[in-house]
Amino acid sequence: MTATSTSGRAVIGTVSAQQALTFRRQRVRLIGVATLIMVTAMAGILGWSSHHTIVRVFDQAVQLQAAAGNPAPANPFLLKPSLSLLSNMVVYIPLIGALIALMVGHLAMAEDQTNGMGRLIFTRPIARTQYALGKILSAVRLLATALAGCWALSLVALLIVNRTLNGPDLARLTGFYALSWAYLVVFALIGMLTALLIRRRSLALLSAIAVWIVVTFVLPQFVSGLRPTQSLNPLSEPAGLSQGFFRITHLAQPISLVEGYKDAASSILRTTPATTAAETALSVLPTLIAAATLALLVLWRIQRHDYSRSASDE
Amino acid sequence: MGLVPTPSIARTHVMNEPAIELRGLQHRYDTDLVLRGVDLRIEHGEVFGFLGHNGAGKTTAMNILTTLITPTAGTAAVCGYDVVTERSEVTRRIGYLPADVRMYGHMSALENLEFLAKLSGLPDARAAAMEALEFLGCADLAKRRVGTFSTGMRQRIGIAQAIVHRPHVLLLDEPTSGLDPMGVRQLRNTITQLNAELGMTVFMNTHLLSEVSKVCTTIGVLNHGELIYNDSIENTTLRFPDESSLEDIYVRVGGPTP
Amino acid sequence: MSESTRRITQVARHEYRAALRSRVLVILIAILVASTIGSVLIGASDYAAQLADYNTYRAAAEAQGLTRIAPSPLAVLALLRGALEYIEILGAIIAITLGYLSVSRERVNRTLPLMRSRPLTGAELATGSYLGALGIFATLIVATALVGVVSLGLIGHDWISPIQVLRVTLACLAALLYLSAFYCLGAIATARAKVPVNGLTIALGIWLVVVLVLPQIGDTLDADNQLPGGLFQALGLDHDGELAVLTHFTGYERVRTGIEEASLAKHFERFAFAMTDVKERYRPYGLSWLLNETRNNIAWLLAYAAVLFAALRRTLSRQQPIETGGNS
Repeated sequence: MTATSTSGRAVIGTVSAQQALTFRRQRVRLIGVATLIMVTAMAGILGWSSHHTIVRVFDQAVQLQAAAGNPAPANPFLLKPSLSLLSNMVVYIPLIGALIALMVGHLAMAEDQTNGMGRLIFTRPIARTQYALGKILSAVRLLATALAGCWALSLVALLIVNRTLNGPDLARLTGFYALSWAYLVVFALIGMLTALLIRRRSLALLSAIAVWIVVTFVLPQFVSGLRPTQSLNPLSEPAGLSQGFFRITHLAQPISLVEGYKDAASSILRTTPATTAAETALSVLPTLIAAATLALLVLWRIQRHDYSRSASDE
Repeated sequence: MGLVPTPSIARTHVMNEPAIELRGLQHRYDTDLVLRGVDLRIEHGEVFGFLGHNGAGKTTAMNILTTLITPTAGTAAVCGYDVVTERSEVTRRIGYLPADVRMYGHMSALENLEFLAKLSGLPDARAAAMEALEFLGCADLAKRRVGTFSTGMRQRIGIAQAIVHRPHVLLLDEPTSGLDPMGVRQLRNTITQLNAELGMTVFMNTHLLSEVSKVCTTIGVLNHGELIYNDSIENTTLRFPDESSLEDIYVRVGGPTP
Repeated sequence: MSESTRRITQVARHEYRAALRSRVLVILIAILVASTIGSVLIGASDYAAQLADYNTYRAAAEAQGLTRIAPSPLAVLALLRGALEYIEILGAIIAITLGYLSVSRERVNRTLPLMRSRPLTGAELATGSYLGALGIFATLIVATALVGVVSLGLIGHDWISPIQVLRVTLACLAALLYLSAFYCLGAIATARAKVPVNGLTIALGIWLVVVLVLPQIGDTLDADNQLPGGLFQALGLDHDGELAVLTHFTGYERVRTGIEEASLAKHFERFAFAMTDVKERYRPYGLSWLLNETRNNIAWLLAYAAVLFAALRRTLSRQQPIETGGNS
């Protein structure tokens, strides 16, 4: 039995499969998928509750107006887009999904440093690029699995509440989850990069969270005047562009990934006034550029990473 | 005992070159020069004991040989292959046991070994992993999760992963650390067996001078990054006939008492 | 000073000094301070412009001899809203981090058994650490408040009155209680976890639910928030109409309120916003009325802080020594 030349694809597959097994054994996959599924269910329940509340308020309003001799108000459902049932997902993906993605990326990269496996792996004839690609692949697959589950559950929720789902809506739903996947991949890569840059695990994790905070809460405030808690609201309020300050900082909006994601998601789901395909594509672009840049940074950083020392658990 | 002496990869080239050769090897961490131009040649079939006080630079030398770090200056070669420019060839020929070996605790010994054997490019990784475990007499550990292992068990699985691809050169970093006397004896027998039966050259960093005299054929003493002594055990005993033990010799040639 | 008090003071000093040496904590605090100052400065410059407009209007009205001049709609303290929201979100993470570092530091360095082998009880250790953390939070909050108030004066051209100073101080005290609760959470989770970093992860998970998810659900369930621009407005209902409709939603509103009240963050937010005139409906009222109106929030804040501190004392007073961390 002789060691033969290992193809790059085989190494990537081996590393990815091993990481997938680790995710499964350490229940990361279970927790990640279950949390995102629960979040989808919660968004569905909140959407259904919204639907139900509007029906009840509308009934009451019709009675009130009739008693006052006024004509019945317009049916508010005409103002409610068919996919608005999922409008909360536009908030949950950057809040909860992104944090899960950070953890997934962090665990994928930090584990081999902590347990010293990196030393054993890199004394084998494999390239660091192949190793990093295997890790990225495993994280990307895990996120795709979780979002596929969310997609299926959303489909069921929409069929239950709206009773119907046409082809374009199905395409929009799929497009929304594809966009969410790209957005989450960005955060998984941030988790990986910080694990490669910072040796102490807790500091690496906290640094990744600090980046998430800046992206999710701080940038929107300085770029568009959105207060931190406004990030929790699926109904985006008009940005405070009255001041000269925002007229300048607004130019930097493309770097505010969360706003780009929310804009793109809302226009894909049609929960905001219709935008052109070009505008939607433009708002997706920063996410894709960020993902590609971060992947390159991970591939670059891993070449320099010192695997001769094992990282601290702490 | 399924393992057979392997060296089948470019055998001619391998045997014509020394197992390990260091030339003017230097390494610097920031401003700290930890290896100061080390020259060393180790022939095939030797069991080499690398001695030195804490911080002497032994582990740095080992990290260079395992390709985990790049030397600041000088060269290091394994079986004639340069550790920097021919990394892939080097990693095919070395087996490495780090000090405090740890693996995926949630995976069984067999799964860990199979994964590492696959990375070494073995076509039937599972069979090779099982063979290595059987050779070391720990096939009973195959299905158990590594997270539940004692230090001694971990050490045996660590050796198994180091030999699973049947390397020419075995690099052992402080292999006896944390082992009880029984474990140390067992390890000594294993090293002798790997050297005698499988023809592996062994390069061993150690603090345990008693083990060196029992296992090693040659020794080197590193002091503050400089190789201050290098000779066979036989010659060493001849050169220092008055010394009662290797520890005394170690002190005499300049190494502080470990 | 009794022996016990001396030991507590010693631990508190140790905690304070060690926290300031932590790079990650300093980075997180820097993000908080920079974001807070940024938000206050932006708000203050906008406020200055609005105040100038109002003063122009007032001067013009007085010049025309008008006697009924509309009062200023501006509330200077409301500009602290951004700062309070940052404390609510980011401050809580800093507090958890501090709690985590406080315990993990002793575990990694294996100093816990050394400390416990001295005549230092678990309760003294918990109290000392807690007081040290309070010192860090107090420094942070006071610095933030000072920068905020001075910015409002210098840039917004509106210096706050003594009673407003009192209200800001009360909001700061609420912030202190709020942060101390999260400190305890971080420390307890870390002390109880087998691997400290897992404790940190659990504490951050709880933070996510308490600070972001529960308030978000509460807001989303608000009947009026169902449509952009407001559902009631879309249905052509005025305020009376809205109230009439809402009488049919008491059960629903109770559930919604219950979800919000489960969140410590919402209690802090309601109290702090009431103190700083963020909510317009509170602006006409005096301090005593506001305190009475928000007594429920004060009680919840105190209860959360007290329960978590008691749990911290209990955790650190356990008979069996806490496992040390490290690589092995």
